[in-house]
Amino acid sequence: MFQGMNFSPASLPPAVARLREEVRAFLAEETDWQPNSDFNAGASPAFSKRLAQRGWIGMTWPTHYGGGGKSFLERYVVTEELLAAGAPVGCHWIADRQSGPLLLKFGTEEQRHRFLPAIVAGDCFFSIGMSEPDTGSDLASIRTRAVKVDGGWCLNGSKIWTSGAHLNHYMVTLVRTAAASENRHAGLSQFIVPTRDPGVTVRGIDNLAGESDFNQVFFDDVFIADDLVVGEPGNGWAQVMSELAYERSGPERFLSAFRVLAEFVRCLQSSSDKQQRTLAGRLITHLVTLRRMSISVANMLENGEMPDTQAALIKDLGNTYERMVPELIRLQIPEQRSQALASALQECILHAPSFTLRGGTREILRGIIARGLGLR
Amino acid sequence: MHEDQMLVADTANRIFSEECPPEVVEQAENGIYAEELWETLNANGLLLAGVDEANGGCGGSIIDALIILREAARKAAPLPLAETFVAGQALNQLQQPMPALPITLVRGNFELSKSGLLKGDCSRVPFGRNCQSFLIAVNDANEQHKQPISLCLVDADQASIEQGKNISGEPCDRLLIKTEMTASRIFTVDRQWLNYVELLGAASRAVMMAGALEEMLQMTVNYALERRQFGKAIAKFQAIQQQLAVFAGEVAASKRAADTLLESAELNALDVAIAKARIGEASGISAEIAHQVHGAIGYTREHRLNQLTRRLWQWRDEFGNENYWQHYVAEIFLNDAAGELWQEITELKV
Repeated sequence: MFQGMNFSPASLPPAVARLREEVRAFLAEETDWQPNSDFNAGASPAFSKRLAQRGWIGMTWPTHYGGGGKSFLERYVVTEELLAAGAPVGCHWIADRQSGPLLLKFGTEEQRHRFLPAIVAGDCFFSIGMSEPDTGSDLASIRTRAVKVDGGWCLNGSKIWTSGAHLNHYMVTLVRTAAASENRHAGLSQFIVPTRDPGVTVRGIDNLAGESDFNQVFFDDVFIADDLVVGEPGNGWAQVMSELAYERSGPERFLSAFRVLAEFVRCLQSSSDKQQRTLAGRLITHLVTLRRMSISVANMLENGEMPDTQAALIKDLGNTYERMVPELIRLQIPEQRSQALASALQECILHAPSFTLRGGTREILRGIIARGLGLR
Repeated sequence: MHEDQMLVADTANRIFSEECPPEVVEQAENGIYAEELWETLNANGLLLAGVDEANGGCGGSIIDALIILREAARKAAPLPLAETFVAGQALNQLQQPMPALPITLVRGNFELSKSGLLKGDCSRVPFGRNCQSFLIAVNDANEQHKQPISLCLVDADQASIEQGKNISGEPCDRLLIKTEMTASRIFTVDRQWLNYVELLGAASRAVMMAGALEEMLQMTVNYALERRQFGKAIAKFQAIQQQLAVFAGEVAASKRAADTLLESAELNALDVAIAKARIGEASGISAEIAHQVHGAIGYTREHRLNQLTRRLWQWRDEFGNENYWQHYVAEIFLNDAAGELWQEITELKV
C-alpha cells in the first residue's frame, strides 16, 4: 500500500477530556460575538487576548518561550472546540498554527524570545504573505524581491489575498532574494515584515460575501533588518514546504460548514422526514471519518513525522465535504427552518468558493496526492 | 493491528495471493466452485476464526475473522466466507457445534407451524447451491418488535434450490424449504440478538469493500503507469492524476473507517454503521474512476478489475445499503434530544 495513505488510528490522551470541558466552559461565558461558520471569517483581538489568558495560544511551544509545553493532541482539542463553536479565532490563528512553529524550527534564539512570548500573550498577530498579483499556485514565480543593503535588506513588491493584514502586526513574507536560476526554488527567503512600517501599505479588498478580510499589501523600499530574516537566506522554499502538514491537516479543513450541519440537525429534532434524516446521517458519517483521519495526522505530527500526503488528502476530502454540506442541505431544508439555519447556510454558500482555494487549491493538492501515488 | 493480527493478515494474504488468481475467480463464475481454495482455508484454520474451539471453531476473535475477510476480498475470493462467518457466529453464541459448512443465515418468507413444519422460500441466497447447511430465521407473524424469533438449522438435503446469480456474478439462488424440524434444531432468539448478528454481516462487507478498494487503487495506479498513449504513460496526464487523487481520498477514508472496526475489542454498532455507509459511498465513486482509467480493458469480463468492481456493487447493497445506515446513524444522533451534535461527535472513540 502507498505510504502516504496510512492513517493509523490514534487515541486522544485521557487528560484532554478535562481540557475540553474547560474550553466549553470558557466558550459558554463568551457573549460578545456571533458564531461564524468559517474560521477565516471572524477576528477579534479581544477574544484572542482572553484565549491567551487561558494559556491556549502557543500551547505546544516550550515553556521557556512562554509556551504551554503541551502535546499537539491537546492543542487539537482546543482548536476543534473553538472551530465547532464558530469562535472568532482569526487574529491569532496564523501565529499559533504556523508562524510560531516556523520560528521554533528555523528562527534564531533572539527571534524566538522576541516573538513567541508576545504571541502567547495574545499581543502579536501574524499574517502570511505568499500570493502575488501574478502568482497564485505557482509560488516559485513570485516577483517581490529584496536586495542586500547594509545591516539588512531593501524590500519592494506586493502581496495579495493576505488575510488579516489590516489587523495583524507582522506577516511572514516569501521574497526573492537572489535572481531566479535553473532551480526555480532557489533564491527565496522568508522575512518577518512589520505591517505597520511606513513603507508598507495595506489596502483592503472586499470578498464575494462583501466582507473585508483579505488585502493587497504593498512594499515600498521597506528596510528589513537582518534579524528579521527567518532561517538562512535562500532556504525559503524548503521552509515554506515544511509548514504544509500543519497547515493542511487540521480541523479547519473540514469544519467550515459545521454550523450549517449543526443547525440542520437541530431543526430535525422536530422532523421525522426520512430523506432529511438520512442526509444528516450521511454528512455525519463523513465528518466522523474526517475527524478520525485528522487526529491520526495530529498524532503523527506529535511523533515528529511529516505526513505531507496525508495532509493533502485531508484537505482535499475535507474541502470537498465542506462544499457538499450546504449544497445538499439546501435541497432538504426542513419546513420549520430556524433563522440560525438560514443564516448559516447563506454565510456558508457565500464563503464556499474560498474553501477549495485557500491554503493550496484543490488542483495543487490533488497533484501532491498524485505524487504520493507515484504518478509524477 | 496487534502483532498476532498482522500474522493472521499476512498468512491470509499469502494464501489468497497464491491460491486465488483471477482464473480461479473466473472459473467459479463459470460454475466451477472453488472447492480447493475452501479446503486450503480450512486446513489453515482460516474458516472459523472467532468461533470457540469447544464449538468446533478455530478460536481467536471476530476481529481475526474480519481481517481474513479483508484479505479474501482483495482477491475477490469466490466463496461464501462472510456468510459462513455470520452464521457461524450465530451458532457459536447459541453454544452449538458447527454443522456441515458452508452455512448461511437466511431471512426470507418462512413459517414454522406449531407441529414443527418449516415452510417457505427466499429468492436471493448467495451461494445457496454450495451451502451444506442453512440457518433459517422464521418470520414472526405479527411483526411485534419484542416478539422472539425462531432460528431453524436445516441441512442442504432438506432444501431445494433454483439457481440464479447476482450482480457480482456469484451464485445467488432461490431456496425452497418444506421440512419437518426436530426441536433440538430450533433456537429461540430475540430480535435484538438477530440484529447484532446481522451487524456482523455489515461489518464484514465494510472491511471487505475497504480491502477490495485498496487493491483496486493499486491496480489502477499500476495500469496508469504502464499504459502509454500520445507517447507517454497516461499517469503523466493531469486529467488522470486528478481522478486518481480523488480515488485515493475515497480509499484513504474507507481504510480509516474499516481500521476503526479492526482496532476495537468488540464491534460498536455506530462504528459499523459509519463504516458501511461511508465505504459504500466510496465504492461507487471509486469503481467509476477505476473503470474510466482502465478504459475498455477493464470492461472485459476476464479482467481482475471487474471481478472486484462487480463485488463492490453487490456488497454495498448487502446488509443495509448506504441510505439504510445513514438513517441509522441519524437516528442515534437525533434521538438523543439533550445531546448537541458536536458533543456527541466528540464522545465517539477516535
